[in-house]
Amino acid sequence: MILEAKGIKKSYGKRVNRTEVLKGIDLSIEQGEFVSIMGASGSGKTTLLNVLSSIDRVTSGHIFIEGQDITALKDKKLAEFRKNDLGFMFQEYNLLNTLTVKENILLPLSIRSMKKAEVEKQFKVVAEELEIYDLKGKYPSEISGGQQQRTSAARAYIHQPKIIFADEPTGALDSKAASNLLRKLQQLNDKSNSTIMMVTHDATAASYSGRVIFLKDGLIYSTLRKGDRSQEEYYKEIMNTQSVLGGVGVES
Amino acid sequence: MSLNSVILKNFFKNLKNYTLYIFALVFSVALYFSFVLMSQDDGVAEELTSSELMSTGFIVGSVLLIVIIATFVMFANSIFLKRRNRELALFQLIGMTREKIFRMLIVENAVIYFGSLIIGIALGFLVYRMLLMVLLRLMQIDLSVGMTFSIEAVIQTALLFIFIFALLLAQNYIFLKKTSLIKMLKLEQSSEASYRGMGAVTVLFGTLGLVMIISGYWLSASMMNFTNALIFLMFGVLFLTIAGTYITFKFSVAFLLNMLRKSKNGHVNVNDVLSLTSIMFKMKSNAFLLTLISVVSAISMGLMSLSYISYYSVEDTIEASVPNDYTFYEEEDMEYYSDLLNENDIEHETVNIPTVSYDVEGDAIAIDAEAPGGFDTALALSMVSEEHVDGFEVEGDEIIITGVPYFLDSYIEFKLNETITLISDDYERDVELVSMGENAILSSFVTYGSPQAIVSNEVYEELEENHNYDEEMNQPREGFAIDITGEDSESIYQLMNEDNYSQFESKINQYNMQMQGTGLVMFIVGFVGFAFLLTSGCILYFKQIGESEDEKGSYNILRKLGFTENEILKGLTIKMVVTFGIPLLIGLLHTYFAVNAGGFLFGNEIWTPMLTVMGVYITLYSIFALISLMYYKKVVKRSI
Repeated sequence: MILEAKGIKKSYGKRVNRTEVLKGIDLSIEQGEFVSIMGASGSGKTTLLNVLSSIDRVTSGHIFIEGQDITALKDKKLAEFRKNDLGFMFQEYNLLNTLTVKENILLPLSIRSMKKAEVEKQFKVVAEELEIYDLKGKYPSEISGGQQQRTSAARAYIHQPKIIFADEPTGALDSKAASNLLRKLQQLNDKSNSTIMMVTHDATAASYSGRVIFLKDGLIYSTLRKGDRSQEEYYKEIMNTQSVLGGVGVES
Repeated sequence: MSLNSVILKNFFKNLKNYTLYIFALVFSVALYFSFVLMSQDDGVAEELTSSELMSTGFIVGSVLLIVIIATFVMFANSIFLKRRNRELALFQLIGMTREKIFRMLIVENAVIYFGSLIIGIALGFLVYRMLLMVLLRLMQIDLSVGMTFSIEAVIQTALLFIFIFALLLAQNYIFLKKTSLIKMLKLEQSSEASYRGMGAVTVLFGTLGLVMIISGYWLSASMMNFTNALIFLMFGVLFLTIAGTYITFKFSVAFLLNMLRKSKNGHVNVNDVLSLTSIMFKMKSNAFLLTLISVVSAISMGLMSLSYISYYSVEDTIEASVPNDYTFYEEEDMEYYSDLLNENDIEHETVNIPTVSYDVEGDAIAIDAEAPGGFDTALALSMVSEEHVDGFEVEGDEIIITGVPYFLDSYIEFKLNETITLISDDYERDVELVSMGENAILSSFVTYGSPQAIVSNEVYEELEENHNYDEEMNQPREGFAIDITGEDSESIYQLMNEDNYSQFESKINQYNMQMQGTGLVMFIVGFVGFAFLLTSGCILYFKQIGESEDEKGSYNILRKLGFTENEILKGLTIKMVVTFGIPLLIGLLHTYFAVNAGGFLFGNEIWTPMLTVMGVYITLYSIFALISLMYYKKVVKRSI
């Protein structure tokens, strides 16, 4: 088990104006899993991702990554931990505009004492896998949204983190670019046995993952596993669950 | 919520952003007001030997101050307008008319502006006394400083700032009129699009910029070798350095940083991200501003150094060129004043030195053939016998040269233990240069500005005998002077001056006049320079605030990726060093070469004054860099 969360609670605001976003969540993720988290706006999915990925702190509860309780770590240690063991993808690509594609991707490696040749090899593997190797000298403003997001994926992968956290990675992409990206993520997940946790509100995106966790009002509502089903069947099931969850139609 | 309360709320929220702007505004009002007050101070004007100098100096100074302040205020305003773009667009989006927004801006500006004006005037009144004391101290005048508050000065200051305010309003109006809603909403993003790769043009111009500056420096250093085209060359140097500075900021910095970056082949670390890559793009778009700042910095540093050099060298210059306390044109004048001093029981000595003028040449004298001002005629020396002066020992055929004016010093090299030939028509006499003295022994109106030479009594008699007596040149001449035993004082000078028997030259009076003149010039140059430094520092700081807002997203990403606050701040520290350092460095280099090329005309001590001025500049720039860094720290802390 690579990640285990126990009794996660998170609330914002002072005593008077307190809103509880996460009301006690238990979950565990195995090595090599590709997990999606879904839920309506305000259900707490992004907050969950933030606390699991140590960007935000929990109000109570414990998170263990490979047995280490990260809720007990100091800020500095946490930053260190993020730097070494986690990879991130965000909705707004989150690339640095002043850096070229290659520089953006290699940024997480800058803190390691790796041999240059080794770094180059690693870069080549990941960038070719994501089909952005030819763009390495371009600036983010010179490439398309889909290419930017793939760059962001490459940055998340380059240092071979224990878990990759992705927050609505397809949110700003058109459907073709989105499916392209997700297929790549799926391939990488299969090939390198990496663990991915992705927040999304898009059923299509979720259908690429092996397990979907539905959140509702700060609690886990249900979990779906793909199992041996085809992606299409799986997608339908996700849609059904989502409509039950949202009451009427599908939340977009 | 009524419109007014929205405006008010909005205003107070914005006030924090304005802090430094208000501070700088208050400060410039205070500077200007105290400057006007000083120029109107009667007490000082009476005390000065040349009040005309003072009023001219203050007028020039105040015009420069006005230009600096007006430019600064308008520049700062444009930065703030850009920063508040989205807010202004939002107001329009919810249906506010442009006129209403314009009115809102008027009210806001008026409050800030006139608030600062009042505080500034009050502060200026307090500062003025202090500044006046500094000025009097610089001019070495003893005078107790009174308090004079002049309504005229207030009105003058107020009028000026109302005028600048009108300029501001025009600027706001034009800004609102020119930009459409859609542009305003997009303006913030437009800056992002400029991150692109570098073309061959950058490489070409990048090299060109550096070459231009270096050749400008080279020309300035060797300018004196081309006397016949001096004016032409000076403009050449100015053009090369100023245009070179612009191109450097526009291309060379980016070009150099890009080379550095290329050498890393993609393996950048967090320091590179925050300093190198960011500066590479920012400096390009700020090229004009940075050029302006570094060129004007260089000019003000140069002027400050030069005026400080002349101030600093007054004592040396006078000591070297005026040998006696009082110098007279006629023997009887000297005798008259000697009697006067005796009547008043002031101990003194009369000095009487005969001299003949000889042209000289020989191995010991190397005149720079390309020196300006035409050394086509041979160098002349005023010969003096050893028995008339103290402190010089010469025997036989030896000669000592002393009292060489410092502007001659740079063109003529005297070699010790070589031969000098003294020439008067057909007569020639060889002597050997054994040593060099420093101070003059004869007044310049006796020597016509030539250096003096001391020879033994026998040689002198020989020279006197063989000298070609020339009615026109009134040769030989004699120097008549009086040295006061002990210290000369202002009261002795007054005593002699009031007697009004005939004209004479007084060392103490010359010293005072020069101290006052150079002191005043230095004060005004320093004052204006300081105002400029303050405003340019503020502008760089505002730019940094803007950049920190632009880069907020990057800090957020970096922190999410796991870079700590300290790591980010380390990178930003490098960025501050470079952003403030490059304009400063270019300014310093410009100053160094300018002072080096022209400094000798102002005095003989160049290094101490120049380094002092540079030190002050570096210190103040560092303070601004530090304030900016502190602001960055706040932004980084908030970024996650």
